[in-house]
Amino acid sequence: MRFFHNTKIRFMEYRWYWIIASTALNLVAIGLIFFAPGFKYGVDFAGGTQLTLKFSSEPDLGRIRNALEGLKLGEVTIQRFDEANLHQYLIHMQNPAGQEGDFTAHMLQALEKEFGGGTGKIEINLQGSDALRDALAQADPDQVAGTFDDRRTHYKPMADEILSLRKRAGIIKGPEDLASLTALSGGVKTYLAQNAHFGDFALLAAESVGPVVGKDLREKATYAVSFSLLGMLIYIWVRFKLQYGIGAIVANIHDTLITLGALVVTGRAINLPTIAALLTLVGYSTNDTVVIFDRIRERLKLERGKPLITVMDEAINATLSRTIITSGLTWVVVLALFIFGGDVINTFAFVLVIGIIVGTYSSIYIASPIALGMSNWLEKRKQARRRR
Amino acid sequence: MQRNLMWRWLLIGAVSVLAVYFMLPPDKRIHLGLDLKGGIHLVLQVNTQDAVRAEVDDAMERVRVDLTEKGFAPALLQRLPDGDGFQLRPGQNTPAKTLDKVIDDRLAEFKISRGPEIAATLKPEVARAIRDIAVRQGLETIRNRVDQFGVSEPVIQRQGLEGDRIVVQLPGVDDPARVKEIIHSTAFLEIKPVERTAPTEESLLATSSGKVPEDSEVVSGDIEDMEGRITGKEYYLLKKASVITGRDLRNARRSQDQYGQPAVNFTLNPEGARKFGGYTSAHIGDRMAIVLDNKVRSAPVIRGHITDSGIIEGNFTVQGAEDLALVLRAGALPASITYLEERTVGPSLGRDSVKRGLRAGMVGLILVAVFMLVYYKGAGINANVALILNAILLLGAIGALKATLTLPGIAGVILTIGMAVDSNVLVFERIREELELGKTVRNGVALGFQRAFATIIDTHVTTIVSALFLFQFGTGPIKGFAVTLTVGLAISMFTSVFVSRTIFETLLSRRAQVKTLSI
Repeated sequence: MRFFHNTKIRFMEYRWYWIIASTALNLVAIGLIFFAPGFKYGVDFAGGTQLTLKFSSEPDLGRIRNALEGLKLGEVTIQRFDEANLHQYLIHMQNPAGQEGDFTAHMLQALEKEFGGGTGKIEINLQGSDALRDALAQADPDQVAGTFDDRRTHYKPMADEILSLRKRAGIIKGPEDLASLTALSGGVKTYLAQNAHFGDFALLAAESVGPVVGKDLREKATYAVSFSLLGMLIYIWVRFKLQYGIGAIVANIHDTLITLGALVVTGRAINLPTIAALLTLVGYSTNDTVVIFDRIRERLKLERGKPLITVMDEAINATLSRTIITSGLTWVVVLALFIFGGDVINTFAFVLVIGIIVGTYSSIYIASPIALGMSNWLEKRKQARRRR
Repeated sequence: MQRNLMWRWLLIGAVSVLAVYFMLPPDKRIHLGLDLKGGIHLVLQVNTQDAVRAEVDDAMERVRVDLTEKGFAPALLQRLPDGDGFQLRPGQNTPAKTLDKVIDDRLAEFKISRGPEIAATLKPEVARAIRDIAVRQGLETIRNRVDQFGVSEPVIQRQGLEGDRIVVQLPGVDDPARVKEIIHSTAFLEIKPVERTAPTEESLLATSSGKVPEDSEVVSGDIEDMEGRITGKEYYLLKKASVITGRDLRNARRSQDQYGQPAVNFTLNPEGARKFGGYTSAHIGDRMAIVLDNKVRSAPVIRGHITDSGIIEGNFTVQGAEDLALVLRAGALPASITYLEERTVGPSLGRDSVKRGLRAGMVGLILVAVFMLVYYKGAGINANVALILNAILLLGAIGALKATLTLPGIAGVILTIGMAVDSNVLVFERIREELELGKTVRNGVALGFQRAFATIIDTHVTTIVSALFLFQFGTGPIKGFAVTLTVGLAISMFTSVFVSRTIFETLLSRRAQVKTLSI
């Protein structure tokens, strides 16, 4: 079986149309990123506190917002996380201007109060297993004889089982969820049904980044990305020529801008894992570009005197089937991640779903034409100097 | 089989065995990051200025006591606004000689500038050393506390060599709020003589005309009823000098007070017992305050001579009493701390993302494997063997390097696998081209590998170069990405060039005449 066998597409002939289209797309992306609606930093770079909560049923977002704004700390944003039937939300609150510190506890307390908790009952969905064990030991529904520590030993496996149910399910909705737990005694089940507060939400994750660390992470990410691009440029310069290195870097910038634009359009925030995804895209795109450059270099050695534009077309055609197969396969893998991978890696997969298409295209229509244009220009200048 | 090929297989076998050794059992050898496993990641800052200020306060106190004992109490003694030093105006008629002696004796670590007032600032190298010690002690204390709390595989490190930040990573903790409280609590315990108490600050200071006497301080505490509910506040005028502090403790554990309520019992070391015994026997009938983190917990009346133990009472839950005993045993933090960054990932979220990510990844990889078989037929098997080996070696390397696998790390793995597939495709396409040009099978394979080799090196090295920079300059997640990427690419070069070629050549070496190649 073979795809794209012996193609003779004259890629470079149409380069100007594609360059104009790319430039236009890049300008749109720049507009989206830097003007409206603008780049959205996630909690890693913007700072603030972000809770990931799982609710037992669809919550009233107005109540969440009111409860948190009542704290008068910072701006609150609420966003759905993952599929609708999971009732999961990301709730982000900005730190008060310039203030360090962790506001997780404040936010949780406010929400607990709003949703009927904080009354001193056992909080099934918010307490750790030690606290749960102690609460049971205190109440002692099983009437254990002995000291407090004996009671603790008695209730420990029960508390552990409740916690492990919460770890599996995310949230314990009510006493009926506890019915199937075998370690729990009948007395404890009855006691919890009457005295525990099951609450409307459980905490899946909390992240809090102060302004100092936020700034730090921003700076370090910028340095890391800039230096790694520079390293790449130098390597390609050494192995090929400067114009090829510049072509590859411009292609990388092109891919990154368009992907960032797509992130802005879909309202996704930029976090550290997003940067890792963008770097993956850059790595991928460069790989693709280097394969074509390599073939150009090889052909140039074999067929001296042939115009560069023809050599480039031949090289792109010769590698076309590998380009399509590799991109296609990688694309299928990230598409699977995008569709089935869950929300934690969704943004990551999204970056690559967009990025692989753009990255493959840019190797042919951005990196190569730039190398071609610069080579031709340098050649002309050299000839002009010789004539003089 | 040729000797040469046999050696190659031996190498491949040895590497694989090593990899399998390092990756088994996977749940022990492959450490998942907190984002995948659940747990807490904290970055905290030790407020080293606290330690510097305490040093300055100490020195001021020494100077005050020394001068007062010699009969020349200072007219003014106050801390400078930036906290690194203080100002001293000697009392009138203080002989220059006395003053010089006190400065020589007591302020060796200070830079002195004289004028109508004397300004003493800590020498910069001394201040730096104090800050460094504060961070190191903080690190040690937090480590003690976490160890006693019983978290498995905790990471507690200073960020950078000279920084004032500490990174704490605790996997699998189910009550993050409690752990944060335990780490955060300064746990500075002092027992101080009580001069008098009053319900408001004004009435407390009424007898001293609204001013706090120089050797005293005002500290507040909660009033509780029999059931431990807070009903009000009480103000205490305490002597600044403590009888004993947390440093004099030998041990602390949870116990009960006389009403059966949770309390913390402590015992003193010999030095502490001597001080405490001496003080209590001389002050029977007086009150002493038990001050924790600058708040009066209780202020019992001294009923008799106490030597080596005591009890801290007041509104504890059992867990609260245990946690306090724990931090007292582990020692006080030398300075307060601020949380700069906190990430808690619940186990359900981490588990869920691993499960779904793995499933999706498997679906993707199976599709790739099937495609390779359909498109490259016999050679596809070759590519798939190389791919599987790639995965095993990568896991082995992660196990051997004790690296942690995080979400960005998996991104690196995906890029690696993508490039490994790409390398195979490059080689196969090249072999097909060569065969088309009419080369014999042996020649075609050799040339295909040879020609594709340069390309594979270039693509891999370009990416490794950028990954090295990411490793150098990146933080946590980006570093994780760089690590798996670099290791993965090195392995990918090995499998797609060396292993794949060895498989090809072994197959070809078995037959004398090779006319066709399944590719």
